[in-house]
Amino acid sequence: MVRLTIDGKEIEVAEGTNIIEAARRLGIEVPHYCYHPGLSVAGQCRLCMVELGNNPRPQIGCNTQVAEGMVVRTDTPKVLEVRQSIMEFHLINHPLDCPVCDQAGECWLQIYYMKHGLYEPRMVDEKVHKPKAVPLGPHVMLDAERCILCSRCVRFCDEVTGTGELGIFDRGDRSEIGLFPGRELANPYSANVIDICPVGALTDRDFRFAVRVWYLDTAKSICPGCSRGCNIDVHYNIRRPHHNQGRRVARLKPRFNAEVNRWWICDAGRYGYRFVDDPSRLGAPARGRGDAAQEVGWEEIIPLVTAQLRRYRPDEIGVVASPKMANEDFFLLRRLVDHLGLIHVDFRVPPRTPGDEDRILIKADKNPNTRGAELIGLGPRPGGLDARGMLRAARDRRIKCLWVFHHDLQASAWPAAEVGDALRAVECFIYQGSNSNGVSAAAHYVLPSAAWVERDGTFTNFEGRVQRFWKAVEPLGLSLADWEILGRLGAALGLGPEPASAEACFKALAASAAPFAGLSYRELRDTGKVLSA
Amino acid sequence: MAEKILTRNFHLPGSHTLVLYRETGGYAGLEKAFAMKPAEITEEVKKSNLRGLGGAGFPTGVKWGFLPQGHPGPVYLVINADEGEPGTFKDRYLLERDPHALIEGMIISAYAIGAHLAFVYIRGEYVQPWRIFGRAVAEAYEAGLLGKNIRGSGFDLDVIVHRGAGAYICGEETGLISSLEGKKGWPKLKPPFPAIRGAFGAPTIVNNVETICHVPHIMNRGAAWFAGLGTKSQGGTRMYSVSGHVTRPGVYELPVSATLRSLIYEHAGGIPGGRRLKAVVPGGSSAVLLTADEIDVTLDVDGLKNAGTMAGSAGVIVMDETVSIPEALMVVARFYAHESCGQCTPCRESTGWIYKMARRIVEGKGRKEDLDTILDVARRGAGTTICAFFDGAVGPYISYIEKFRHEFEALIRK
Amino acid sequence: MNARGAVRVEFTPEQLAEVRRLQGLYPDRRAALLPVLQLAQEAFGHISLEAEEYVAGLFDLSPAHVHEVVTFYTLFFREPKGRHVISVCHNLTCHLLGAQQVLAHLKERLGVEVGGTTPDGRVTLLGVECLCACEMAPMLQVDDRYEGNLTREKVDWILEGLA
Ligand SMILES: Cc1cc2nc3c(=O)[nH]c(=O)nc-3n(C[C@H](O)[C@H](O)[C@H](O)COP(=O)(O)O)c2cc1C
Ligand code: SF4
Ligand code: SF4
Ligand code: FES
Ligand code: FES
Repeated sequence: MVRLTIDGKEIEVAEGTNIIEAARRLGIEVPHYCYHPGLSVAGQCRLCMVELGNNPRPQIGCNTQVAEGMVVRTDTPKVLEVRQSIMEFHLINHPLDCPVCDQAGECWLQIYYMKHGLYEPRMVDEKVHKPKAVPLGPHVMLDAERCILCSRCVRFCDEVTGTGELGIFDRGDRSEIGLFPGRELANPYSANVIDICPVGALTDRDFRFAVRVWYLDTAKSICPGCSRGCNIDVHYNIRRPHHNQGRRVARLKPRFNAEVNRWWICDAGRYGYRFVDDPSRLGAPARGRGDAAQEVGWEEIIPLVTAQLRRYRPDEIGVVASPKMANEDFFLLRRLVDHLGLIHVDFRVPPRTPGDEDRILIKADKNPNTRGAELIGLGPRPGGLDARGMLRAARDRRIKCLWVFHHDLQASAWPAAEVGDALRAVECFIYQGSNSNGVSAAAHYVLPSAAWVERDGTFTNFEGRVQRFWKAVEPLGLSLADWEILGRLGAALGLGPEPASAEACFKALAASAAPFAGLSYRELRDTGKVLSA
Repeated sequence: MAEKILTRNFHLPGSHTLVLYRETGGYAGLEKAFAMKPAEITEEVKKSNLRGLGGAGFPTGVKWGFLPQGHPGPVYLVINADEGEPGTFKDRYLLERDPHALIEGMIISAYAIGAHLAFVYIRGEYVQPWRIFGRAVAEAYEAGLLGKNIRGSGFDLDVIVHRGAGAYICGEETGLISSLEGKKGWPKLKPPFPAIRGAFGAPTIVNNVETICHVPHIMNRGAAWFAGLGTKSQGGTRMYSVSGHVTRPGVYELPVSATLRSLIYEHAGGIPGGRRLKAVVPGGSSAVLLTADEIDVTLDVDGLKNAGTMAGSAGVIVMDETVSIPEALMVVARFYAHESCGQCTPCRESTGWIYKMARRIVEGKGRKEDLDTILDVARRGAGTTICAFFDGAVGPYISYIEKFRHEFEALIRK
Repeated sequence: MNARGAVRVEFTPEQLAEVRRLQGLYPDRRAALLPVLQLAQEAFGHISLEAEEYVAGLFDLSPAHVHEVVTFYTLFFREPKGRHVISVCHNLTCHLLGAQQVLAHLKERLGVEVGGTTPDGRVTLLGVECLCACEMAPMLQVDDRYEGNLTREKVDWILEGLA
């Protein structure tokens, strides 16, 4: 550890820390553009100047590591003047098109200009012109005139993905960010460059002009796209419902977690939220197949479904849970399964095309909570069938009631005919999920689930880290969180009162399932906890 | 006239050949060096007061001393032959007319710093110098002066001659290293300095051609002799490139204690046509301009520093009374705008901006505020950049305007 | 080889051997990028995007990184150039001693602007920064050669020597 003072305040930080980070710990912001804690130090923007001891020349904070007894000042007249000058340099060739810029509201050029710039513009000569509104790939749009050449995006593609698509070409004030002509920025993490671009040079093609950022609210969440469990923020818009074609979830952004995803998320996860506000959402419980299908209320459907579950012998019922469900859901489902004495329980349905995986974040298992399902015991029991076995048994009419959560069995690795036969043969097919899919239409009973952004809960990632996600928006229509549906069914089946909240479910889980012992929502905080076993 | 050391053979036909180099005492310094311990050579170079002749004027022996002691991996020697500072052409003469002096200097220097691989980075436009130097390297290999176990010393040295591709910034030592590594010539952040982490991540010493050409003579005739040729803080002679409005432009080797006036009027023959001197750039285009009455200064690093300018690369550009300083500034500003690597914001943005303002002034579209804007922008940018390129540009920006403001104002009033 | 128009972007076996030699010469093979690009320019006349991709492939580099290098240095030609390249220095000393007149004369004689190539593909005319031969100002570089102390007559004589 190293002790130093910054603006008169003492602090102790680890050796190797730079001055920007050390100051941040004291709540002192050293403005900067090119420095990013997840990338190498480039030292190009020259904004992060601070004064060191008696050195008459301000030095950049990003490339200065702390030293014992160092005296740093970030607020001297000299520092303020240098900052102002550097801001002017950053802006002389900038097109100043903020009113039509999508970054407005989260642009560090605007923010720092207001705080540290504010000079009288004196550049009257023709600015350097560069390409505008150039699509770089499926997600990223470039405005090269707004680029301040901080090289963060270049370093991201060099150092994080190793794909090297971006470069800074030419030199001097003709320097220009771009791709090799004819190529695309289409690596699986491409949209991260939008997040790290400090200005409006790289914007999200998906989000462009959808909603002004000041209408957005944020909820902490976990990406449900794979078993990594990247930490994210859900940016949602409920203040201007007419914007963004009525879609409430506007975008997902990575949320820093040193042990899971650092600053990044993959594109598949980032854009994987569309199902939330999709027309395919199931808005109300329903009974009856095909033309006979009829939307009903929860008061009506719960007794109907309970009656079905009671009607069959335990070995005539099959339950296919989903690794997309939360630990809380699993807990209540497990309780219900045990109560009814069911033996055919599973949650694994192999996808038709195996998932891709890399050494960065992406995991082949595209489910956020496989580990949770395993730990809470939703796998096949001794003497019980696995999911495929259940389908075969259904076809052979040995299983008469099938309760499937979320899965689109038609998109599984199993032959469509096998799935079709099973669903046609089964007497009672209960589908519980957030969206209609290839099998939901065949259901006798539809129980609509809230999407993950519409509820609280936890997922357990591939390495056993339990992480919370928070409700951002209200459940669509009459849909309910899976734990609520299961709680109502449980109550109807005589399992006692339904739990009051996801947190209450988790508490009960922690009290009953050994791996979760001692955990609580409080304990999990924002970044989760790894289960000890 | 003072003794010529580096240029002593320049007038001889065949001065670039090994035969002639040997005949005139070449490789005697190497013999002496091999009889010494590496650390003793560095000590001797320190005592000689040899200072870097590429531009920064840093004491050579001191720089060598910055290398980490007992470094386990390789150490490299890099010769900066990227000569690009406007007004400078001495290294071209050395490469063409006495390449073996550089080779001998490299062997001794590499031996002193423990390098077994040396690079010579020659600017891409120097095709002839590159050919001649390349042939000299081949000759040296054939004669067993390069390669394994050089002259039975047990010391190995390989030399790679590397060509630049057109970028002034590759003369800056870390820009040079980036370029040598196969990248754009973007200068690197310091720290770490090249002596700690340089080419290919290894400790590296970068020295100018002329600096290294002095080393054999220091070995041969001793540090005291070399130090005695110069001033208290800088030993030896140095090659002054003189161009512009002088009767005899060319390279002049003089002790660093000579004065700028004598260089211009005695050696280079004064201003032709009886015209009057207006201004002199004393150390390459990045040096602060001196007016006609500021030339009674000695040409050593400290002498010119005390005069408010710098010895730089010793490129002396002489301007007579006919010269328009605003036009000169425009030309110089175009150079800096063209050559900025563009990596760091103050330099990238202001070199372009200042050129636009200077051009506008020359075109008669100047505004009253422009002069103060240039001065202010230059001052504010100074000292804020990754490398010294921008500080070099600031020298002319400020001095041309401050010392000849009336000429600019006259253009603006028009 | 130097003709304008399409040249096959592929090194001969001998050239490829030279590439391998250069790549093995340095402590890190990327260091051979400049020499190999110089070789490519000699072989193909100029460095097209296709050539950049080809060279990137020889180094396992992303083409963007090769493009960065090619666009950074002035001696890499990205468009077909003339059989001869005349680069007139327009930096300070040459400017003081008449570079503008030299350029004007060449523009007139060749009928091209600075940066242009004569329609017959004979000469590309450039204005360049200090070539560090200011003692012979005004001066120019014609292909590999420096020519200085230029006068109209000397420039004409240089042009006559160009096929
Ligand atoms: C913009 C810039 C250009 C430079 N150009 C050259 C050059 O062409 N040749 C040179 O030897 N040094 C040049 N230098 C100085 C080098 O950075 C370095 O100081 C020098 O090569 C060290 O060698 P020396 O100590 O022997 O002088 C330049 C420096 C700067 C900032
Ligand atoms: S596009 Fe954005 S991230 Fe990339 S260099 Fe420009 S400002 Fe930086
Ligand atoms: S000062 Fe200029 S030349 Fe030096 S690194 Fe910065 S932009 Fe490049
Ligand atoms: S953040 Fe330090 S120079 Fe850009
Ligand atoms: S100014 Fe033309 S060669 Fe130096």
